[in-house]
Order: sequence, then structure tokens, then C-alpha cells
Amino acid sequence: MKDFTNQPLLLSVRNVNKKFTKDIRYNMYYGIRDMLLSNHRNYMQLREKEFWAIKDASFDLREGEILGVVGANGSGKTTLMRIISGIYNLNSGEILARPGQKTTSIFALKSGMEPLYTGRENIYLKGSLYGMSKEEIDNQMSFIEDFCELGDRLDRPFGNYSSGMAARLAYAIAVATRPDVFIIDEALAVGDSVFKAKCFDHLKDYVKDGGKGVLFVSNNVRKVLKIATRVIVMDEGEIIYNSQEIRKALQFYIENCLRTLTPEKKAAKLAAVTHYDF
Amino acid sequence: MHSETPEKLVPINSWKHLSTWQQMLGRVKKVYTFRFLIRQMVKTSITRDYKRSFIGLWWMLITPLLAVVTWVLLQGAGIMNPGETSIPYPAYVLLSTSIWSFFLQSYQVSSNVLINGKQLMVTTDFPHEVLLVEKIIIHLIHFVIPLVLNLVVLVFFGVSFHSWSILFPLTLLPLLCLGVGLGLFVALMRVVAVDFAQIADKVMNFLMFLTPIIYAPKVEVKFLGDIVALNPLTYLIGFSRDLLTNGGFTNLNLYLVFSTLSIIVFLLGFRTFTKHEQQLVERLINV
Repeated sequence: MKDFTNQPLLLSVRNVNKKFTKDIRYNMYYGIRDMLLSNHRNYMQLREKEFWAIKDASFDLREGEILGVVGANGSGKTTLMRIISGIYNLNSGEILARPGQKTTSIFALKSGMEPLYTGRENIYLKGSLYGMSKEEIDNQMSFIEDFCELGDRLDRPFGNYSSGMAARLAYAIAVATRPDVFIIDEALAVGDSVFKAKCFDHLKDYVKDGGKGVLFVSNNVRKVLKIATRVIVMDEGEIIYNSQEIRKALQFYIENCLRTLTPEKKAAKLAAVTHYDF
Repeated sequence: MHSETPEKLVPINSWKHLSTWQQMLGRVKKVYTFRFLIRQMVKTSITRDYKRSFIGLWWMLITPLLAVVTWVLLQGAGIMNPGETSIPYPAYVLLSTSIWSFFLQSYQVSSNVLINGKQLMVTTDFPHEVLLVEKIIIHLIHFVIPLVLNLVVLVFFGVSFHSWSILFPLTLLPLLCLGVGLGLFVALMRVVAVDFAQIADKVMNFLMFLTPIIYAPKVEVKFLGDIVALNPLTYLIGFSRDLLTNGGFTNLNLYLVFSTLSIIVFLLGFRTFTKHEQQLVERLINV
């Protein structure tokens, strides 16, 4: 197993905290309050009906790493990824990156895609949403065509695509942006196994290029085993485990985070991790 | 864990230490780099509604044409009795309402910009002003097509244009600034103060009755007359309308004063939006 701890840093997440409001009216009330009294916006005490969505999260991403982010539903994985992508503000802490570093994230496959337009038209739409110019998209077109393997179906309405076809296209466009930090949030949960295998192979090659890293968010232990070079485990907004020993990290995750699982199912999952053949 | 000093790394949100005015400038520049996205979005929005229709974009002409036919019929029926208007009453109302709706639409598209964009904003990192610019461009397109038709109708009503009328589009800019500026305030309110936004909408709609649009500028009722005289829209709309129809500069000084105020409202609205919108995105709830 390759050790990445001496590789240069790509991204450093340091003591990040983020709070949300549980109640819809309090949510609005605090929204107005924070606007009017903007100096108090970042204070660290929880107010009534607030909770920590992310609690003192710190981790590093180094060149060449594919960091698996696992955690039960609602453990804060997506929130943390949205903070790193610059979509959400943080309440305290900092996120450091190289100047001008490009981050591309895939959260929802179909967001920003138009069902009445063809796959090809959607490439321009989604590509420009990622900040690409027309020339850049034109230059990447043949790559996207090759990668998604949709053939002449690329000229059919996107709304008629199966979820697997949509995943192929969305993933191919995101890859075409050539990000330095690539955030994949459950985006490979759909799609057929041939395409997934192709994506995994591509990701592994991709991070070898230098200056690249991947944050791979998934609940699927097999996928994480297959691809991750390090795993962080999240639980109730905290990062409770961080290790390059993938098997151990996943065992820890199954034993400590999946509270609703019956003992038999847990044992089956653990066996899958222990006996997984690389 | 963080023993190494990352001299090469910088905070991703370093722009936060800039002043709000600098941030505004930064956002304008950022929006410019996303111009291809704006073009794509405008194209999509315009064609989306007509994608499944065989006559397609002709609908953009048919709808305002039908409205115009209504006006002509009303004129022919003679139900519309002119007040003290300088041009035939139907022409007056037609032109005034289209300038008014230009203002109201500027307000409406801006004030809904956050609430309608949630899905996109929580899944992609892009400057949210892109959505605003997109909506304004579409608004302008939707304004120009019926306007051209209306001008034809005005000729039919016996209105003749003056060479100064060419400045008409420019004189609408203050109305755009005012509408968008107010809209940006309300856009924030629509996320966290829904009641306030509803009231603002109602007030904006009601303003039409406090502005000489369906009646003549000289009002007999003292109370209403006072309001009309104090209402900036009286001058902003009146100036554009009169310039187009007789080439005159009605109340030029007041028009210039209120135009300046409109630009200030726009800058303040944009500033407030820049300062707070990202905080509010996470408070949006999909409905």
C-alpha cells in the first residue's frame, strides 16, 4: 500500500464548524437576525434549535490520494463537501487550497441538466455551469463522447435517459473539467458495473498525473475498498476516524456507525470487508 | 496533524476579507467569466417553453399580438373615454402600462432570483448573479417584442414620434435600476422573511394605482393628487412616455433627481445582496 503522508498538500481542512437550524421558523428568524447584526454571525455558541452539522472537522488531502469519505446518512458528509466546494459558508475554521486550484464536485447528477434538450446540448449547459468556455467545451467534446460511450443516444432528449445513461453523461462532463480536486458525492451509485469499473480505473490513473486528488463520498464499503487510498469516517458531524488502512477504517465504520443494522447484517458487512479480494 | 506549514496554501474564501464594494467588483468580474453560461441559460429559457411546439418561437409574437387586438377593438368600440391626455387615451394606457410592466417585471425577476435557483445553488459553485443577469436579459427580450408591436399600434392611434424619441430605451434604465435594486432586497427577504416579501409584492402591484398609468397625471382628488406628485414613478414613467410620444422633456430636473436615486437604490440593493446572499442560500428550503 502506498504511503501518501509525504506527498505535497492539495487541500487542508482545519477545525471547520458549521451549524444549522432544526426548526423552519427559527431558521428564518436567525437568518434575519444574522443579516441585521452581522458581527454576531459567527459566534460559537449554539442558539435554541441549532445543532452542529460539522463539528471541529480537520483533514488533509495530498497529491495522488483518493480519500474515501464514509458515514451513515445525515452524518454531515455532503455538508462538509459543500463547504469545501465553496457552496456553504463555514462558521469557524478554515479551508486551505493552492491559489487558483480548481475544484469540481458532482452532488446531484441531474442538477442543471435540461430534460427537453439533447445530451449534447446539455454538455454545453452543464460544462458552462462548471465555468468552462465554449472553446474549452468544444475541445473536450470528443473526450466526453468517448468517455460516456452513449453513441448516437447523445442526440436524444436528456429527459428520456435512464439513470445510468444520465450518470455516464454527467460524470463524463465533470471529468472533462480537469479538476485538481474532484469531489464525487455518491455520483457513482448508479450506472452499470462496466461503466463503474471504467470510472474507477480512470480515477486511479487520473490522480497519478500529479497535482490531483479525489474526495470520494460513498456508503458502499466495496467501492471504497476498491478505490480509496485513505478513509475518513464521519459520525454526527465529526470525523471520528482517519486512516490509510482502509480495511480497519471500514471495520470501525461498520462497528460504530451503523447503529440501526441488525447483528447478522453487520457481520455480513464485516465479512465482506475482511474477505474482500483486491 | 498539521505539523507542516503549508506556505503554498491559501484560504479558499480569502475574498471575505475584502470590503463589500471590492467584493461587488469581484463578482461583476466573475460573472463576466461565466458569460458563456449566461448565453446558454438565456437560450435555454427562451426556447424551453416552445420546445414541444411546432410553431415555436412565433408564440413570442402571437401572445402580444392578441393583446394589441384587444386594445384596437376597445378603441373601435369607443368605450374608452379620454381624460386630459396629450395622446389618444388607449394609446396613453397602452404605452404607460407597458412601461409600468417593464418596471414591475424588473422587480419581479430580481426578487425571485434566490428562491427559484436553490437546486442549482446547492449543487454547484457558480456566481449567483449569473441567474440575475440571465433573468434580466430574458425580461428585456420579453419586453422588446411587444413594445415594437405597441409602437405600430400607437401609429395606428395617430401618435407621431419625434427625433428625440430615439432616446426612449435609455430613459428606461433608471426604472430597471430601481426595479432590480428593490428586487434584490426582497430576494433576500423572500428566503427569511416571507411575510415581508409578500407585503412588498402587494405594495408594488398597488403602486400602479398611485402612478398616472391608467389615468391622466392631473388628478382631481386632492389626496391622490398629492401622492401622485410625490411618487418618483410619476416622473420616471412620465418622462419616458412623453419623450417617446412628443419628444419633450417633461419635468427633466425631477426625472434626473429620481434617476440618480434609482441608481443609488440599485447599488445599495446589490451591496446588500452581495453581503448576505451566500449566508441565506443554506437557509433555503425546497418547496
